[in-house]
Amino acid sequence: MTDLVYEAARFSYPESDAAALDCVDLRIGAGELVLVAGGSGTGKSTLLRAACGLVPHASGGRFGGDVRVGCRSTRDVMPRDLAGTVGFVHQDPEAAFVVDRVENDIAFVLENLGLDAASMRRRVEEVLDALDIAALRNRAPSSLSGGERQRCAIAAALSAGPAVLVLDEPTSQLDPQGAEDVLAALSRLNHDLGTTVLLAEHRLDRAAPLADRALVMESGSIAADGEPGAVLAGYAGAPAVTRLGQLLGWTPPPLTVKAARAHVAAADPLALATPAPVPHQHGDVAIAARRLGARAGQTVVLDDVDLEVREGEVVALLGRNGSGKTTLLRTLAGLAGPSHGKVERHARTAYVPQDPDLIFSAPTVRAELEATLRLLGRRDADAVDSWLARLGLTSAAQRHPRSLSGGERQRAGVAAVAVGGAPVLLLDEPTRGMDAPSRDALAACIGDHSASGGSVVLATHDVELAARVAHTAVVIGGGDVVANGTARDVLSGSLFAPQVLRVLPPFLTVDEVAGAVTTAEAGT
Amino acid sequence: MGAVRRERLHALTWATWALAALVCVQLAPNPLYVVIVVAISFLIVEVHGGRSPLARAFPYLVLLSLGFVVVKVVINGLTVHADGAGLFVLPSFTVPSWLGGYPVGGPVETAVVLRAATEGFVVVGVVAAFAAFNAVVSHYELVQMAPRAFHEPGLVVVVALAFVPSVVGAALAVREADRARTGGVVVRRGRLVRLAVPVLERGMEKALALAESMDARGFGRASAGSAERVAAWCGVAALGALAAAFLALLGQARTVGFALGGVAAVLLASAIVAASRASTRTRYRPRRPRTADWLVIAACLAAPALLAYLRATTPALLLWDLSPPLRAPAFAPLAAVAFALLLAPVAVPVSGPDPWSVPAVPARPGPEPEPEPEPEPEAVR
Repeated sequence: MTDLVYEAARFSYPESDAAALDCVDLRIGAGELVLVAGGSGTGKSTLLRAACGLVPHASGGRFGGDVRVGCRSTRDVMPRDLAGTVGFVHQDPEAAFVVDRVENDIAFVLENLGLDAASMRRRVEEVLDALDIAALRNRAPSSLSGGERQRCAIAAALSAGPAVLVLDEPTSQLDPQGAEDVLAALSRLNHDLGTTVLLAEHRLDRAAPLADRALVMESGSIAADGEPGAVLAGYAGAPAVTRLGQLLGWTPPPLTVKAARAHVAAADPLALATPAPVPHQHGDVAIAARRLGARAGQTVVLDDVDLEVREGEVVALLGRNGSGKTTLLRTLAGLAGPSHGKVERHARTAYVPQDPDLIFSAPTVRAELEATLRLLGRRDADAVDSWLARLGLTSAAQRHPRSLSGGERQRAGVAAVAVGGAPVLLLDEPTRGMDAPSRDALAACIGDHSASGGSVVLATHDVELAARVAHTAVVIGGGDVVANGTARDVLSGSLFAPQVLRVLPPFLTVDEVAGAVTTAEAGT
Repeated sequence: MGAVRRERLHALTWATWALAALVCVQLAPNPLYVVIVVAISFLIVEVHGGRSPLARAFPYLVLLSLGFVVVKVVINGLTVHADGAGLFVLPSFTVPSWLGGYPVGGPVETAVVLRAATEGFVVVGVVAAFAAFNAVVSHYELVQMAPRAFHEPGLVVVVALAFVPSVVGAALAVREADRARTGGVVVRRGRLVRLAVPVLERGMEKALALAESMDARGFGRASAGSAERVAAWCGVAALGALAAAFLALLGQARTVGFALGGVAAVLLASAIVAASRASTRTRYRPRRPRTADWLVIAACLAAPALLAYLRATTPALLLWDLSPPLRAPAFAPLAAVAFALLLAPVAVPVSGPDPWSVPAVPARPGPEPEPEPEPEPEAVR
């Protein structure tokens, strides 16, 4: 059997003194599905890349100790020669395709390994079935959806029949449906083929229940290792139900809504005061869509959408992929023209695109914020400092935007746009690929902005974020508004409910429950 | 539904077509015939190109080459003077002697303008044929056809080509993000830097990610050492022989020069054979040309053959004589038939879905609101 063994593995990147891996000792047995959790920049990616030899062979840097796959050490073997033993899947599925046809792309590694025609043919068919992508075999990767693309990338890594499959945040760029498909496929591979899976993730709601074992990394070393429930209970990025279990002292901490419900049923009824509806005093209308329609080519994307956003209001736009959330935001921002209806703008808007990398052109984060002010013909250093502080980027101010981790980049993107002082912020999927501290910082910043009279519209798949920050939730589907109301009402009545609401209605977030528990204890 | 393979012509067929079209344009550099070649290229892209990014780029490439014609006509019209009949007269001046000291402007002559336009049109024909070839061919198949020694450099070119559309997409997105940043105000100062830097940096990051992915998928694995060394020495010897042949030719020793050139060719060929032997790569499902492919190849080869015959016997039918008195360009039905042979690929029916188009109906109609995923371990274990 092929075990993956790290022995006192140490590594630091070139031109950096900080250890990305700090004396890691780890043994991953054949057939395990191991989840690697941890904030951005804690060494998850490095740990994963060390397993397939990309660290140190492709990255450079100083490497100490040993990483062995089976009996081969990555010190002596190049990544390309490990191709048949360790498969690697990149975070960005777009960057992984070599051939413009799925079937040939899957066969690419087999051609490199020099397999004979008959075995290649058989392997490709097996992998197409294993990942349920046989229908996509003739398609060009660029025409696929994110989830499909990521499954094809996994197939391409898997076709060589590796004993270990290493995936670096494979679902962070995907919508919930795509992420679900990818994780289900991974679990199936692990069960049916016995492939060892080493998986790094930020969003653990879906991944944690599938794992046999979880690791939490902190500054280059392994802080916790063991049963996923026990390990994740103390971790800030844990699923909401796990943190709820931790708060209410359930053992073992649940990983799924189902397990949490069992705890609720078994425990004494909790005497918690229901959260009082917080009265929101919103100001005048800041931006409104009136019978708004939009098209993309011949397709009608939005049809008769009515939406009002008031000063101080935070609106969450929910809806499946392709339901028109992004189009609505772009139309509100004036980047796309409406096909009919109109947008009433009573305040300036600023739009943060899904991919913040698109705007980074300055050498440091601070210069990036200053550039926005310069573009607007303004010059106030206070705004720069206050936005850096609000988004927790003060320590990263002098770093190059592209040297930041995923979550920091997203925050820097928000800061670079918001610093312009537009009262209406339009955020498109701002928590994509974000770790827990980044999500907290973003949520706090949205709260601040709304408290100071600004409005925020965020399109998101992240219902936990919506539950935390939104006053109003709007569900978009089939081109128009399906539901529009207070966040609690809209989220309660639908399948969009956050985890806590499903376990302990009518609470939306762990923080609300914590507040109620404190009040109840103070009362007794 | 997507499992039906799109029947497409073999890369060999398309390579033959492109070569035939290029030779035809060169044999009959007459604007009328060039228009025919451009029209045929357009039809080929329409029928066989589908929604591939390079097919969508086809009209822009042709427009770009037309722009080149305009520039060429203007420059030639202003600077070339042959004492022929003038179209009109412009004020004239002489550029300073350190720039060449030739006259610019003055009489713009009909023959000069027409000659420049005719020459430019040949370039349009060449660009159209080449762009159509790139729009319809599978570059990966093309690389797989080449000797194995060329596989790695060829694949690098293919990957680079695949980057072009994604760069265009990124450039559009960056432009929009730049506008969004200021709430719709377009600031022109320093805009180029703000637009170029993200596209370049992104391209760099993508390239690094792709390099990692290719490395992890076994690209460039160490091959058998001895055969590769033989190939390298053969290559070095071939270069040496070529250099010696060059020197011999300079020194008027023609026999020696040609002999050395022959030796160099043999050495180069054996280097390619040896390097191909050294590669342990195999090929997944290589396609063989079908009957339709052979028929199209035959038709495509007949076209330049017919034109070459015409050019040898009655060149006036193919060329446009611009000497006065000015006549309309010649148009021979037989030449038109030759060009029509280049339409052969259009006659091959296209079946199966276009790999580049996104199906209009989502593959899996989801429930009305997207369910917040709630993992049920029982369901997957």
